[in-house]
Amino acid sequence: MARRASTDLAERILGGPVVWTGLALLTAFALGPFLWMLLTSLKDRQELYATPLQYLPVHPTFENYVESWTSPVTPFSRFFFNSLWVCSVTMIATTVVSVLAGYAIARFRFAGRDALLLIFLSTQMFPSVLLIAPLLTQWRALGLIDTYQALIYSNFSFTVPFTVWMMVGYFSSIPRDLEESAMIDGCNHFGALCRIVLPLATPGIAATAIFAFVVSWSELLFAISFTTETNMRTLSAGLLYMVGQYEVQWGQLSAGVILSTVPVAVLFAFLQRHLIHGLTAGAVKG
Amino acid sequence: MTSIALSSSRTRPLISWRARKLLIGYSYLVPAALCMLATVVVPIILAIKMSLYADVLYKPQEYRFIGLGNYVRLVQDPVFWQSLWNSVVWVFGSVILQFIFGFAAALLLQQAFRGRALVRTLTLLPWIIPGVVVGLIWEWLYQPNYGVINDLLIKVGLVHERVAWLSSPDTAMAAVVFTNIWRGIPFFAIMLLAGLQAVPDELYDAAHVDGANVFQRFWHVTLPLLRPIIVVATATRIIWTFNYADLIFVMTGGGPANATQITSTYTLVQAYSVLDFGYAGALSVVLLLVMLAFTAAYLHITRGVEETD
Repeated sequence: MARRASTDLAERILGGPVVWTGLALLTAFALGPFLWMLLTSLKDRQELYATPLQYLPVHPTFENYVESWTSPVTPFSRFFFNSLWVCSVTMIATTVVSVLAGYAIARFRFAGRDALLLIFLSTQMFPSVLLIAPLLTQWRALGLIDTYQALIYSNFSFTVPFTVWMMVGYFSSIPRDLEESAMIDGCNHFGALCRIVLPLATPGIAATAIFAFVVSWSELLFAISFTTETNMRTLSAGLLYMVGQYEVQWGQLSAGVILSTVPVAVLFAFLQRHLIHGLTAGAVKG
Repeated sequence: MTSIALSSSRTRPLISWRARKLLIGYSYLVPAALCMLATVVVPIILAIKMSLYADVLYKPQEYRFIGLGNYVRLVQDPVFWQSLWNSVVWVFGSVILQFIFGFAAALLLQQAFRGRALVRTLTLLPWIIPGVVVGLIWEWLYQPNYGVINDLLIKVGLVHERVAWLSSPDTAMAAVVFTNIWRGIPFFAIMLLAGLQAVPDELYDAAHVDGANVFQRFWHVTLPLLRPIIVVATATRIIWTFNYADLIFVMTGGGPANATQITSTYTLVQAYSVLDFGYAGALSVVLLLVMLAFTAAYLHITRGVEETD
């Protein structure tokens, strides 16, 4: 009895105060830095550089947002649309390519299938710094420096291996019988893929596509290496460029940071369940 | 079976159904294969070739084959050796603490409480935002004069004067590792949470009936069942962290005095700032070899894990 009681006590403490304190600390630790950045972005110059430090903005202002969005030196709106374009095209192209490849790997038994899967898996682990010098040489030779194409093509190096891997998983989970009966009814392979398999795999494909978008949104090293004009910078590259200017404008920069975070945070909130499933499934199978 | 019989009678004149099916399969692979060829395979071959040449972008007149010259330079370069050691500190400092805190976070997020879905999403934020954003947020937090970290530490009395976290060689590595821990905790939290949710409740109930307390249940039920996912998550994380250059590049650029220069940022600096492609190529080959060793070890370990299940 005594033993049982002590167990219960330990559990009560663990389940009650410890859990609540832990959760509070965890949330504060994860969100604190964002909150600080948000507060910073709402302060005017005087409050930003006040001594002693002023924690809350007394006169909250959106000036930093307006300035960074419209600034002629660091045109944040331009960076934003560059990112939007590069990431959207990357997302669409990656999805088409990986749906086809994923379907082939999941459905056809051919020589070198395992080797191919292994290549896709190991390229996910390649450092992108390794690709910078050779890709720079390659894009220069093709005259693609300061073009969207260079960034989009380079993004394939990390989006395609990942999305193919995810697609193989989704397609393998769809029973073959459905396609086979469709093919008996006169569909060819491509028809069966479009009419039977794709509709069933749509949620997974959508999640994977958006994930490709989110990872391209974060891409920094290709963006700084393959563009030289301010007007061609993506968000990540543009933010870094803002730091490189004469004096760091922390007000504008914090507004930029918040603006770059919001789209991915929103997308991620929608996708969370899918992504977690996909990531863990992919990883465990790997 | 019927489909094969039917179609083969249709396609017999040209090529067999089996060959045709294989051709279709291969044709679906062509776009993906081209993407990989153009953005990964050819560049890697090019990097290996570059490493054998004196190839500095702004000195085209000095471009020539020098054999293993870049590698000889590499072996004699103290910064390279320092970067390898820094990589070890960076990788293990980050991953071990990410794992411990990530595990704690997963256990917390597994509890039933109101608003759990919201808290889960919010705590994942550090992991999904761009690396450059993480770097800039923390640069501002660490800022010596206007950063909130110094201010809080002085208020609490832990430090007495403002610390230049990122520009002092003694603290820079700890500062970037801490930032990386902040960023990586959600990764382990997600992976381990998924693992925790897959553990059947009956196992806990059975252990409970047998008189196992909460710690014993954790040690004898939870941990063994999570072993595969722990191995996979840790191994991938080690490789990613070793490769990951963005954060350090944004926060310190490898400085001060190479105190935070890891091998991947050193490669980046050679390719991006110094524009010495030959030397960057040699560094890339080293990165590639380390990565291959890691991946081989990873595949070996995960295969072992799958077999024991």
